[in-house]
Amino acid sequence: MRMQCLDTKFFTSSTSLAPIQLPSRMETHLWYVIPNEVKSEQLLNKYLEFLPKSEKERVFSMRGDELQKGALLARALVRTTIARYQTNQVSPRSLKFRKNIHGKPEVDWQQIEDWHPQQLHFNISHTESLVACGVTTHNPIGIDIEEKERKIKHSISSFAKRYFSQQEVQLLSSISDPEIQRQEFIKLWTLKEAYVKALGRGFSGSPFKTFTIRSVAASKEGIHLSESSSSENSDIVVESLEDSANHTGDWRFALLELAGSHYAAICSKNHPMKMSVWRTIPLVEDEYVSGTDSVIAVGGLM
Amino acid sequence: MATFTASSLSFTSLSISLDQNKGLARGSVSLPAKAKSFGALTLRSAPMRFRVSCAAKPETVEKVCEIVKKQLALPATTEVSGDSKFAALGADSLDTVEIVMGLEEEFGISVEEESAQTIATVQDAADLIEKLCEKKE
Repeated sequence: MRMQCLDTKFFTSSTSLAPIQLPSRMETHLWYVIPNEVKSEQLLNKYLEFLPKSEKERVFSMRGDELQKGALLARALVRTTIARYQTNQVSPRSLKFRKNIHGKPEVDWQQIEDWHPQQLHFNISHTESLVACGVTTHNPIGIDIEEKERKIKHSISSFAKRYFSQQEVQLLSSISDPEIQRQEFIKLWTLKEAYVKALGRGFSGSPFKTFTIRSVAASKEGIHLSESSSSENSDIVVESLEDSANHTGDWRFALLELAGSHYAAICSKNHPMKMSVWRTIPLVEDEYVSGTDSVIAVGGLM
Repeated sequence: MATFTASSLSFTSLSISLDQNKGLARGSVSLPAKAKSFGALTLRSAPMRFRVSCAAKPETVEKVCEIVKKQLALPATTEVSGDSKFAALGADSLDTVEIVMGLEEEFGISVEEESAQTIATVQDAADLIEKLCEKKE
């Protein structure tokens, strides 16, 4: 079920936040904040109040104002978003997080009274200029975002040879235009990161060299009508080079151009992966942006 | 507690670091305020000698700092030392992976994914480098 666009801007000084409906098994939600849109120090201090001491300390251990702000927004986004999905009033402050045995962050539901977890899964990614949080139910999710203009220090060819699979190296080296090669590299990086984060086994649990991600022509049952005007009819698939029992066919990917400035890769098992995307400023406003220029499908299922 | 002010963000420094040229250890020992288990390592006030195993040479730490500064395009004035955390300096996963690659090239070593995942600070990287360099010999 789709969320209606909230036309009202509201600012509340209490911690009551407008509730939102959990995504179904066939949906994926993506929320993002643009740090440049959050200027009010009063608002930033409100966000700070949502964090427990340990998270505050981590925010302030970041070196420099912009990094601190980014870290704060990431915590504020995940806490307010998850709190809003609860049917009972849960304050963002009261949420407890822990890491699974491989280090992937997850909500510690036991600490919340009266809460029946509908298996809410989340994953965060952020750059200097955008903070994003993906949410699913029933299945894990991994997301990764990168600035479209991101350049790496090494040559793409040497980087790919070091970290990517052979097929991926071949694909990248077949691209003669350096700018297009760079773009494809960044897209591939975000997809690989999103996959590893969805698996939740850490960088070493799923080394980049051991799997290939690529686009294939869409299979008939895989196509779903999307709201964006120009989604390419291609699927993004992952193939494991090691263990064929990895059930890699279960994983779905979406690749988006987000807010005109970023590539965003989303990976989950939810199928079909109908994406709903909101630009948000926690406590202030939400804007449903799916179907607008802020969300352009680059590939994969929408 | 630190708060956001109009002009700047207050910074609370929580890590205590021993100067590399003084102190008791040959390398540097970092003691973050958040507990990290050091096992049998205890500090006593009496003069003593102890060697922290796998502690890297200051030159190695310095080299790592250089590589990190270059990768993250940090201003030359930025203080980077053994207990500097990559994440706190603004390194994301792509930066970290490039830093590891830079270290491999600089020191002629090969870093396994399992090891790369454990690197959180400059000191971690330097210690790993020395361990891998020792293995080569």
